[in-house]
Amino acid sequence: MSTTTNGALWRKNPILAWREIDAEIVIVSPNDSVLHELNETGSFVWKRLDGRRPAAEIASSLAAEYDVREEDALRDTETLLDELASRRLVIPADTGTTRGIE
Amino acid sequence: MEPRVTPAYSRNHSHRVKAFLNTSHATLGQSSDQQLELSIGRVSLRLHVSDAKTFSEARARYHGFAASQKEPFAVYLRNAFSTNGRTPEFAYEFEAQKAALQAFSSGESQFVGANNPYTLDCLLRILLTWMLLPRAGFLLHAATVVRDGRAYLLTGKSGAGKSTVASLAPEGSVLTDELSLVRREDGVWRAYGTPFWGEFRAGDSNTSAPIAGIFRLVQAEENKIAPLRPVEFLRAMIGNVLFFSQQSADSQRLLEIVSQAAQELRGYSLEFRKDRSFWEVLPA
Repeated sequence: MSTTTNGALWRKNPILAWREIDAEIVIVSPNDSVLHELNETGSFVWKRLDGRRPAAEIASSLAAEYDVREEDALRDTETLLDELASRRLVIPADTGTTRGIE
Repeated sequence: MEPRVTPAYSRNHSHRVKAFLNTSHATLGQSSDQQLELSIGRVSLRLHVSDAKTFSEARARYHGFAASQKEPFAVYLRNAFSTNGRTPEFAYEFEAQKAALQAFSSGESQFVGANNPYTLDCLLRILLTWMLLPRAGFLLHAATVVRDGRAYLLTGKSGAGKSTVASLAPEGSVLTDELSLVRREDGVWRAYGTPFWGEFRAGDSNTSAPIAGIFRLVQAEENKIAPLRPVEFLRAMIGNVLFFSQQSADSQRLLEIVSQAAQELRGYSLEFRKDRSFWEVLPA
């Protein structure tokens, strides 16, 4: 299932609890009571998901920070976003919200 | 990324408001109420029970935790909620048993359907998970054994061996073989005994000790111990924390508390044989 489309903007689902521990992001979703963990690069992407930065911009930062080609970084970023979206950890940036924790 | 199953979580509430309590008495208190004051993990509760049988069962069950404290959180056992239009800060129900609770940050909770010891016990556990949040505490599926004045918490799901390892403790005292209460007080993490034991037995070890370490139980042929990285330790604990709130602020608070524990305490994976020998590999 591909939930990201070119240029789609994503933001963190505001119902989630998350924090950084030892440079890794851990996320708890209260609805299904599951702990999700992101590795270092996943955490890099997560911290930049603000609903304004497109995947391409995040991938550029990723490529600059780590020694990877930009197209690889973009593919990995989009794969991660698909995964995050399928778990409802990120939601489309234009989704309305009534309350959040950030 | 690996999803891990964990129980639910809870919310910031203050416990000022004596005036509210007085109001509550006026609206909810019944002249036939009997009161039972408890202290579990230094959380003060006062049960208001109108049914005589329920009261005597509760008094017998929790006798080890009877204590009078200042400004206890009032818990009214009722047939129906009486909220006077207020919205509870925390609510939970389990439909099969037709039992539910509502809790208010004004210092009051109401239990409905708690007319048998099992349901009352469940609702008390659920209420405590929420009340512990502003107290930097949580309930963990773990046996607690105190040796040389320090608490060893052995955590795992049902069947992991909590009761077994507790029964094999060579010396020292078992504070619980099922559900440990963990709190950070004055910079020190302590484990408290609870009345919540396996097989629905009630314990009476209302004492505490600073935590030496938390051990994730793995049954094995040989005894072996390995330290957990903070993230692994967090995962081991989150999977065994008792939690019920659906509020994101409560989840965030719980995650903060357990993460802090994962960074400040020592966590281990403990492979153990079902005999007393595994105690020898535990760090002093």
